[in-house]
Amino acid sequence: MRPHRTGMMILLLTLLPITSFADEAAELIRKVEDNLNGKTATMTLTMVVKTKRAERTMKMQSWAIGNDKSFIKILYPGKDKGITFLKLDNSMWQYVPRIEKTIKIPASMMLQSWMGSDFSNDDLVRESSISEDYTVKLLDETDDAFTAELLPGEEAAVVWGKIIMEISKQYYLPTKIRYFDEEGTLIREMAYTEVKPFGERFYPTEWIMEPKEPEKEGHRTLIQISDAVFDDQVSESYFTKRALKRYSD
Amino acid sequence: MKMALRNIAAYKKRTIVTVLLTSLTTALLVFTSAWMDGSHQTMIKNAVEIYPGYLQITGREFRDKPSYDHLIFDTAAIREKLARIEGIAVSAARFESFVLYSAGEKALGGMLTGIEPEQETRLSRLAASLQSGEYLEAGDTNQVYIGNELAKRLKVGVGDEIAFVGSGADYSFAADNLRVKGIFQTGLYEFDASTAFLAREYFEQIMAAENYATHIIVMPEKPEQVEELAGKIGRAIGPDYASESWLQIMAELVKAMQLDSLFGYITLGVIFIVILFVIMIYTLLTVYSRIREIGVLRAIGTTPKQVFGMLVLEGALLAAVSVVIGGLLGGMIAYYFHINPITMAGFEEQFKQYGLAVSAIPTAFQPVTIVRDMLVMFILSVLSTLYPILKINRYRPVEAMRHV
Repeated sequence: MRPHRTGMMILLLTLLPITSFADEAAELIRKVEDNLNGKTATMTLTMVVKTKRAERTMKMQSWAIGNDKSFIKILYPGKDKGITFLKLDNSMWQYVPRIEKTIKIPASMMLQSWMGSDFSNDDLVRESSISEDYTVKLLDETDDAFTAELLPGEEAAVVWGKIIMEISKQYYLPTKIRYFDEEGTLIREMAYTEVKPFGERFYPTEWIMEPKEPEKEGHRTLIQISDAVFDDQVSESYFTKRALKRYSD
Repeated sequence: MKMALRNIAAYKKRTIVTVLLTSLTTALLVFTSAWMDGSHQTMIKNAVEIYPGYLQITGREFRDKPSYDHLIFDTAAIREKLARIEGIAVSAARFESFVLYSAGEKALGGMLTGIEPEQETRLSRLAASLQSGEYLEAGDTNQVYIGNELAKRLKVGVGDEIAFVGSGADYSFAADNLRVKGIFQTGLYEFDASTAFLAREYFEQIMAAENYATHIIVMPEKPEQVEELAGKIGRAIGPDYASESWLQIMAELVKAMQLDSLFGYITLGVIFIVILFVIMIYTLLTVYSRIREIGVLRAIGTTPKQVFGMLVLEGALLAAVSVVIGGLLGGMIAYYFHINPITMAGFEEQFKQYGLAVSAIPTAFQPVTIVRDMLVMFILSVLSTLYPILKINRYRPVEAMRHV
């Protein structure tokens, strides 16, 4: 038995560094995700959508618990005021006061633009589950940043062929995320800047999404987070379909 | 010449068989090409006329990058320019947008398109595809004309309400409740399952799309001169816009049809080669059975050239007669089915894949094509008699006379 056990030990010892290395990378991404999501979060956001011809500003309020439940209400402009969105796990509903209707957004519409911005419906639903759907590999590490490559797991039904994430060591927050399709073409780039303290948490207050597809030349969406409360109590009452209409006005 | 004629009369069996074979083959060729051309023309005409139209004007980059950044932003100005161009029967502006439809619990993505109802009737088959309810008219408000498959999927009928949410032309949020005014079926499944129409004035209001369009569709007075017209319009409206005929818009379909024709002709070619070999062998046999006769002719002083001339003349006369008979026969059949299109009830499903809404296919009755086919057959059948004739001419008279 003895030699056998020694063999096992050697095998384990040789495997150990590799697994722990992979774990470390996955752990890193999980940490980044936690930092971005918080246990709960309540925020006021301003979204500026710039296209070739025009610029539009929207204001909204959001409530979220972890990354499974979130509720968004549009506050401005007046004509869109009261439109609400509810996300539960991987599903999304929308309530539009003008037509007095709650609509479940079908899977086929998930890649459509959200409120005319450069974010898709899918971004609102999926963005958060990166650590579950992708396998992580550290590409580079400098004094103040990591660069991680995320490739979709075999089973994962995901949109992206590859994601490259740059992470600041200071805050363990992403600074830049680049999204590629299956052919390896850069589709869009998201930058997180202006990290500010909110209670004990540091959070990027400016998000800039720039699509890189030729047909979206000149498009840009900027999200500014004006005030945010993390890890406070958030009422569960927001996260039901009835809430969509109830909190609409 | 006389002798050739006399020989044709004398060798009745050969004459009848050759004429029969050649004329039937010619008839087959004439009819098959009429059928192929006819079905292709029908498919294209259908595909073009149901919705896309003969000529489309779009923003220069719209076809490659179909986004709201590449719209036609001044539809009225282009209309004015079009008014000065001759050869345009009618034009209609369209604004296509992708929206989310919702009725009851159901929600589906689809196209919502603003159209000019009256102009549209003259350049597409939308109005003619009405299945129930009514077609749109100018000035309609939130009344929608919807594809039957889309209506089925949303579980709505005429008079029912559907809601939509989408993006206006300025990327702002757009939503409204619509009432089903009419349901159409073009037979193009994808189209019927995804598309609904609104009258343009109302569409412009709710989608912030005043004077904008994704397409202006032009119906030429003479559809066969569409290429020329597209060029003329292109020059008039300037480089910010593209003016393209259906040949470009539907290049895929045109290519598919050409490929299909090519395969058709290859198949025909194989059949012809077989038939021509039969003719050749038959000529060979008859000519061989006449070796002694030819030997005698040679012995009494006819030159090989004259014999050759005589035999070829025989062949050519026979071929000419057969080709004319065959051409007439094939032409008649083609003409008959041109007037009385072949209907293929029961094959509608397959046709739908080709975007063919009707199952009646007229053959193309084109005299030029028929004459072309006749000429091809004539040349081929004369060629097929050449080998045996050349071969027999190589015999020397004495040899030939002794030949059994």
